[in-house]
Order: sequence, then structure tokens, then C-alpha cells
Amino acid sequence: MGGYFSKLFNQLVFGDKEVRILILGLDGAGKTTILYRMQIGDVVSTIPTIGFNVETVTYKNIKFQVWDLGGQTNIRPYWRCYYANTDAVIYVVDSSDRDRIGTSRDELAAMLNEEELRESVLLVFANKQDMKGAMSAAEVSEALGLPRLKNRQWGIYKTSALKGEGLDEGLDWLVNAIKGT
Amino acid sequence: MSGAYRYLTRLDEYSILVLGLDGSGKTTLLEKLKHTYNGVPGMDPAKIQPTVGVNMAKIRIQKCLLKFLDLGGQSDLRSIWESYFEDAHAILYVVDASNAKRMDEAKSVLLWLTRVAELDGIPILVLANKQDTTDIQQVAQVKEMINSIADCLDTRDVRVMGGSGIQGTGVCEAVDWLFSRIMENKK
Repeated sequence: MGGYFSKLFNQLVFGDKEVRILILGLDGAGKTTILYRMQIGDVVSTIPTIGFNVETVTYKNIKFQVWDLGGQTNIRPYWRCYYANTDAVIYVVDSSDRDRIGTSRDELAAMLNEEELRESVLLVFANKQDMKGAMSAAEVSEALGLPRLKNRQWGIYKTSALKGEGLDEGLDWLVNAIKGT
Repeated sequence: MSGAYRYLTRLDEYSILVLGLDGSGKTTLLEKLKHTYNGVPGMDPAKIQPTVGVNMAKIRIQKCLLKFLDLGGQSDLRSIWESYFEDAHAILYVVDASNAKRMDEAKSVLLWLTRVAELDGIPILVLANKQDTTDIQQVAQVKEMINSIADCLDTRDVRVMGGSGIQGTGVCEAVDWLFSRIMENKK
């Protein structure tokens, strides 16, 4: 499995250009599990003095960074430091958590409003499809308000990070979308 | 400074919606477009999954930027199309010409599009796609389908062309036609 993803991401390795991909979502959505599932490098966890936990995986010139959205209003301005030059955002949603899907939508909308993220591609993982009563990809896209996104390339894929399902299709799409823009 | 630069190098942007039933070959066609006009390698057609979301290709023609939006075609996703209607300048409607069984469905979706107020008067190019497979329904049969709804098309520009998203035949002709009609329509 790990071999598959490194081969896939090799397509993004050209020259010295750094490729930045953020993996974001509410806490408990499965972001870190996805990062580990890709098996493309060691996960380095840092807690900078400004006080939010960022996990980073670097694979060649590609940098993945993960942190939780939601809550913590006082540190939000610092997130911006990580938004510059972002090629893609992978937004991870717990499809079985109907109570917090609204919060997830608001966080996503607020984030996409950031000027620095204007050009980045959006991949949504409707995660936790292994859970009973999980929302379908169409339901999640509707609940997140994705159809209202203009001027942005986006895709949504059903995943179970736990079982490792759906990640390859989504990441295939993502790599191609980054290459093509 | 950057504002002035942006103003001087600004391109007029036009949106073209790439619509059609699921499996008609919209994403494959879009990949071919990106490959032909922008030189990017494009995704292997065998690896293309049904689209849930929006794929985008921007190509430059003269001083214009044509933005092709490929929207997922599965029936439960077609409601997503509606939020893109108001910004559309043209429609590229893709029909799988090799699939006679779904011709009626392709027709009824097209008919629905012709009745949308926001799309009133904008040009529609119907691409009879998959002219690469054997046992194809001829372009003529797609034309017949269009003729049967001709009275709903009003005075707008409509054309049927044959092509293949896999082989790339008809792709440039389609882009040329769309571009000229958009320019014409602007007047």
C-alpha cells in the first residue's frame, strides 16, 4: 500500500518546487489515520509555542500538514501562516457525525474564504464509511455546501481510513488535479 | 503595481459547462482538452472514476480564457449543476453515441436544460462521443434525437458533432465552435 502512494506522489516531484497539501477537518475526523495510511514518511508532531499541534509528513518535495479546525478561536490567526502557497486541501469529514456536520461546513467555508487558498484544489474525504448510518458522498457534499463552490476544482470520495478504502481513488484524483492546474 | 499588471494582462474569462449523463465520457474529454491545449499529460482514461464534484480545465484562446467545468453526471448529482447555471456562457453536452439504450435519458436531460431560464439563449454543442468504439450509433442518430426536440431549442445556436474523448478527434473543432459562438453571442 505504501508503495502505491509513493509512486502516485512521485508524479508531483518536479524540480525544486515545493508542493504543499493541508489535511484539515474537525477533531476526530480521521486526519492522522489518513496520514499514517499513506505510509510515505515519518509523521513528525510539533507543538509550536503559539499552541496548536501540527503534524507534518515530508515526502521528497511534498509537504503534508495536519491540524484540527474548530474551537480555539484565539489561535486561529496563526493558521494563516500555514495557508500560503497551498496547492491542495484535503478536508476530512466524519460522515457518521450528523451533529457536527454543520460546524464542519462553517469551518470549511471560513477557511476557503482565505485569500491564500484561492487557487488550491479541494478534495473531501467523506470518511468513516465503515460506521453504521454514515452519510453518502452526495449527502456530505450537500451538507457541506460544496455545490455552491464556484471557481474551485473539488471532488468528494467515500473513504474508510480505518480499512484503507477509498483513499487511493481520491488521491489519484488529487494528484491529477494538482498537475493540471 | 500588481493591480496594474493584473489589469493589463487580464483575460476575458468564459465558463463552459460540460454536462451529460454519467459515463458519457466528460472527464476523459476534459483530460484530452488539458493535454491538447496545455500540454499536461492527462489522466489514464482507464483510471478515471465517476466524478463526484467538479473538474476544471482552463485553456487560452487569443485573449480569452475558456474555463471548462466538468460536473458529475450521476442522477443524484445533477442538482449540483443548477448552482453553475447562472455563470455559464455555453454548454458542451456529451452523449455516449455508442449507448442506444440511454439515448432517451440523454434526450430528457438535454430537454430539461433547454427549459432552464438561466441558460436561455446560450449556445449548446452536442458531442456525439465515443466514436472510437465499434458498434456505434452514428452521429446521424444523435442528430435525429436533437431534431425531435428542435422546437424547444428556440433560436439558440445548437450543433451536433461527432468525436472521441479518448482519441481526441473532434476536440479542437468543438473548442473552435464554442469559442466562435460565445464571441458571437457576446455581441
